[in-house]
Amino acid sequence: MAVTLSHSLPVQTLPRTMQVGGVTVPVDLVTTGWPDPQMRLEDYDPEADLMTINMGPQHPSTHGVLRVKLWLDGETVVKAVPYVGYLHRGVEKLCEKLTYVQLTPIVDKNDYVSPMMNEMAINMAIENALGIEPPRRAQYMRSILAEIQRIGSHLISVGTWGLDMGGAIGGGATIFMFCMRERELLLDLFEELTGCRFHYNTHTVGGQRHDLPVGWDVKAKQVLARIVERSYEYEQFLVENPICRARARGVAVLDPLLAMECGASGPILRGSGVDFDLRRDAPYAAYGEIEVRVPTRTEGDALARAMVRVDEIRESARIASALLDGVPEGPICALKPVKLPGAVKLMEGETAYAAVEGPRGELGTYLVAQTDRKVGQHPYRLKIRSPSLHALSLLPYLCPGHTLADVVVIIGSLDPIMGEVDR
Amino acid sequence: MPPLHEPIPPDVLEWCQAELGLETVPAEGPEVPRDRLLAFARALKDQHDFWFFLYCASTHYPEEGSAGEEGHKPDRTLVAYRVRRLPHAASGRPTQTFPFRVWVPTGESTPSLAEVWVGADWQEREQFDLVGTVFAGHPDPRRLMMPEDWPGHPLRRDYAIETGHFPWR
Repeated sequence: MAVTLSHSLPVQTLPRTMQVGGVTVPVDLVTTGWPDPQMRLEDYDPEADLMTINMGPQHPSTHGVLRVKLWLDGETVVKAVPYVGYLHRGVEKLCEKLTYVQLTPIVDKNDYVSPMMNEMAINMAIENALGIEPPRRAQYMRSILAEIQRIGSHLISVGTWGLDMGGAIGGGATIFMFCMRERELLLDLFEELTGCRFHYNTHTVGGQRHDLPVGWDVKAKQVLARIVERSYEYEQFLVENPICRARARGVAVLDPLLAMECGASGPILRGSGVDFDLRRDAPYAAYGEIEVRVPTRTEGDALARAMVRVDEIRESARIASALLDGVPEGPICALKPVKLPGAVKLMEGETAYAAVEGPRGELGTYLVAQTDRKVGQHPYRLKIRSPSLHALSLLPYLCPGHTLADVVVIIGSLDPIMGEVDR
Repeated sequence: MPPLHEPIPPDVLEWCQAELGLETVPAEGPEVPRDRLLAFARALKDQHDFWFFLYCASTHYPEEGSAGEEGHKPDRTLVAYRVRRLPHAASGRPTQTFPFRVWVPTGESTPSLAEVWVGADWQEREQFDLVGTVFAGHPDPRRLMMPEDWPGHPLRRDYAIETGHFPWR
């Protein structure tokens, strides 16, 4: 049974807006002067008795191995310095020794919550550089898989955020279990398609590896309908649970201009009232053939970012169901099946950039091809533009002025995946 | 058929040609002299609405030929930036990206863009850490990914993967 709410967030008044750089942003969120992340502690009140606290890298609520050094005045954060790199695996260096076809399974492990997006971003960059276009069926499959993956990723994000806020006592474990339960259904779908529950290795240069099994679309639509129905429960949890409301509303209000300068996109930017989505504004794969509605919120706080994610779950389910109706027949890969890993070669000194709208924002791949033809099957330089890194660099700006307990909520609302931050 | 490079927006192209005195601007971005980089970046943001910082990626190119000979190229890095402007609702302008590049010889530095775009802060720290490009005037020039006492910069071409480093010998 779908629970219908009379309102999603209390009192949605139309905000006053202003134009900055051609973008419409809510006036109330624009602040003058951001906290200085390099603030000298001597400049703070010299009478204050500051306490230095180390949070992480092994901490259940930092979503991976993130270390934050905090200076506290009483319980209020004065300065926060994040330290990343505990999960640095040298993926970009490793990619320089692999052939183009071998890159897909490696980049899978970057954002381990949404591997489909990583595969898609890197293969789109290689295809751009090669000048080939996947067949239409593969384009549709990519969009469908990306939307289903986005739902799975947002479920993890909302679920673990609930765990951060409430824990087992405040009801946070409930939404975590709800979300994990629904994500299981999605993983079953992927398993049926690719044989793997995550790290699928199903995208390849020029298209897809695995075709849709018979009856998969019917099963997928049932699962999506079920998730849409249950997504109202998450919304109810976020809006009507007093603990969640008290801990998240008004916390870490983000200036949209700061978010833009920082390169934070996706739900973080949309939670601050900026209406921008690559799927609609720079369509790729099959998004050009379907209407993409972009949910935005104008509160700019931690709760707004989570609400955007819940709204996106419903929107993604709608897009995926609609695309499933129109999957065209035909081949799924533009190239012949590649047996030799070195068969794909790029021209000398070519560069390419391709971006997809990942669950955390703009996930891009910048590729520089070899200048030496003999080793043309390896990239010369590969840079993965990871949205989590940009989101996390907002942390020193958001934390000051909030309490220590809020830091956990703020990190959860930024939704960083450390595998992608560190690469 | 996707274009190899997203074309540079016409208004920026014209401005870029006049500003840098270039006849043609390659699609992978103009090469900006280091001494004019800061003013160039500021004008991009203030006059052309490129508020959204995408990435900064440094690529190492080892020395080619020997000193004094023709065609000699010193050991250097190429820093590639890319910025985006969001769609303009009133004029119907779509979202566009703009790339630009800077050559930095090893041993010299390039101005940091962290004072123009906040997002350049961590990106430049990462590129200094991994490739070794020095960004002058950076507010917080520490390593980002590798430990503070790590020898060398791993993404340089002369840094072999097989090199043993404590404790991963």
